[in-house]
Amino acid sequence: MSETLAVRTSRLGKRYGSRWALRDCTLEIPRGSVAALVGPNGAGKTTLLHLVIGLVDPTDGTVEVFGRSPKRDASEVLPQVAFVAQDHPLHRNLKIGEMLHYGRNLNPTWNQDLAVARIERLGLSLDQKVGRLSGGQQAQIALTLALAKRPQLLLLDEPVASLDPLARREFLNGVMEAVVDEGITVVLSSHIVAELERVCDRLVTLAQGAVQLNGSIAEIVASHRVLTGPRSDAASVARVHDVIRESHTERQTTLLVRANGHVYDSCWEQHEVDLEEIVLAYLGYRPGGSATQTPTLEAVAT
Amino acid sequence: MTWVGWRLQRTETLIVVGILALLAALLVPTGIQMANAYHRDGLSACLSMNAGPTCADAIGSFRAHFQSLLDLGSWFNLVPGLIGVLLAAPFILELEHGTYRLAWTQSITRRRWLAGKLGMLVAATLVAAGAMIALFTWWRASSIHLDGRLDNGNYDFTGTVILGYTLFALALALALGAVWRRAAASLAVAFVGYFVTRILVDYKVRDHLVAPLKATFKGAQPPSVLYNAHILSIHGDVHGRQVASGGGFFFSATKLAAPNMQGLVMHVTYQPQSQFWPLQLTETGVFVGLAAALLAFAAWWTSTRTT
Repeated sequence: MSETLAVRTSRLGKRYGSRWALRDCTLEIPRGSVAALVGPNGAGKTTLLHLVIGLVDPTDGTVEVFGRSPKRDASEVLPQVAFVAQDHPLHRNLKIGEMLHYGRNLNPTWNQDLAVARIERLGLSLDQKVGRLSGGQQAQIALTLALAKRPQLLLLDEPVASLDPLARREFLNGVMEAVVDEGITVVLSSHIVAELERVCDRLVTLAQGAVQLNGSIAEIVASHRVLTGPRSDAASVARVHDVIRESHTERQTTLLVRANGHVYDSCWEQHEVDLEEIVLAYLGYRPGGSATQTPTLEAVAT
Repeated sequence: MTWVGWRLQRTETLIVVGILALLAALLVPTGIQMANAYHRDGLSACLSMNAGPTCADAIGSFRAHFQSLLDLGSWFNLVPGLIGVLLAAPFILELEHGTYRLAWTQSITRRRWLAGKLGMLVAATLVAAGAMIALFTWWRASSIHLDGRLDNGNYDFTGTVILGYTLFALALALALGAVWRRAAASLAVAFVGYFVTRILVDYKVRDHLVAPLKATFKGAQPPSVLYNAHILSIHGDVHGRQVASGGGFFFSATKLAAPNMQGLVMHVTYQPQSQFWPLQLTETGVFVGLAAALLAFAAWWTSTRTT
């Protein structure tokens, strides 16, 4: 059972002092998927990734990677998982070639040819000092280190947040190539929704340390609808469907719902809704700006 | 791990090699001068109590030339501390820059990383300490012959204590750095801590590490067991009336004390030359023990408290 899952967490929680960075997080990420972990800053994305790679211990609950504990079975789990941290730490005083030597030295599964080929494709030379590279290039070096380890699971923490649009695209292309070539599982966290749809097939949203949404993107997009109709309360809709967000003008009510089956009520006009809008609704943002009713989420935007 | 360990502590290791080279550049020429003067003046014939007036002159002239240099040499007490804290830098920098996260997400476990990293630092420290001991022991050879190994200047630089001092400085910096994660500040504070600890041990602890001996003798002629012994205290009395007291000096060929008085009885508390190794090994053990505790603390803190 767990063999088909890359990551499984159960009521996972992590507390720093009196503050819960992540709480009651239960999710499954199937092997072979490319999952986006989306949430505002401080939502617990980094903490979740750190728990998966074993950088921190859970305060509560369990986390399994390919059925093993990243902490207890570290020597089995670590070779299978690669991690690119948000600030992609590298030894800045080392040359690129030395940084690759570092990877080769610390990873028995290291593929030097793959690493060197990637560096060449990036137009970089092994003699260049890591500290002199641009932010985008350093992110690419960090990704090269992660990929040359030949992991089964690749964790990327805000990989593109600090990159310009071109470097962002190049970085994600690098990830996609590895997904196609190696069939690895990827979990990448982001607070930027744009571009994720191109790369990811699964979505997990986190806010205030808890999971809101977890499923395949196609299914999520297919099941959400925007309903507009004459001003009324949404109670009749809410009996059947999950109302994620509702807003009212004087004459009209607009609902974003997760539909359970078809919406038959003819007084509602239905629209498709794109992923970004769904995510924003779950995270409590509202492009329009008027009062929003997302009980669990409204404090998130601050 | 070996290549990584070496590459990441290469800069600091080379700085330490540079310090040792500088030390050798200072010590070798002056050491050769001292050795030449020692042989030219035939001082080896004077190595007993009451060696005679010509010896006193020869030794006096040697001291006039070199004693200030030897005294200046006590500043080298800072070198083991300097080298120890410097070698701790790569580990603390790794915590300061966050690159430990990179290391901990490669294929080796945190425990192995810590063991490899700290093991290599300890090994480098021991090698550097060995080099210092060899260099200082050679440099102070003449002084060791004349004043004995229990002379404070000689005691600090020979035997095994430098191993303990250097390891202690390393471990103190590592422990501070593990908690603080600021390399420059941790090294500075550890260096001061090293200095304070050394002074404390030199003046308060050392004499009590091994129980001193007591001796009583009549007349001004001290028994040969007191030759180059470390005198902790001495009282002289004539028929029960105290006439002299003191401590902290040595009986050697030129340091004959006390006037010849009828009925003088001297009571001495002292560490004889034969206590040199027990004292050295005990003091080394104290510092190595402190270092081991600090290292264990640094390893524990890093592996459980660092995220």
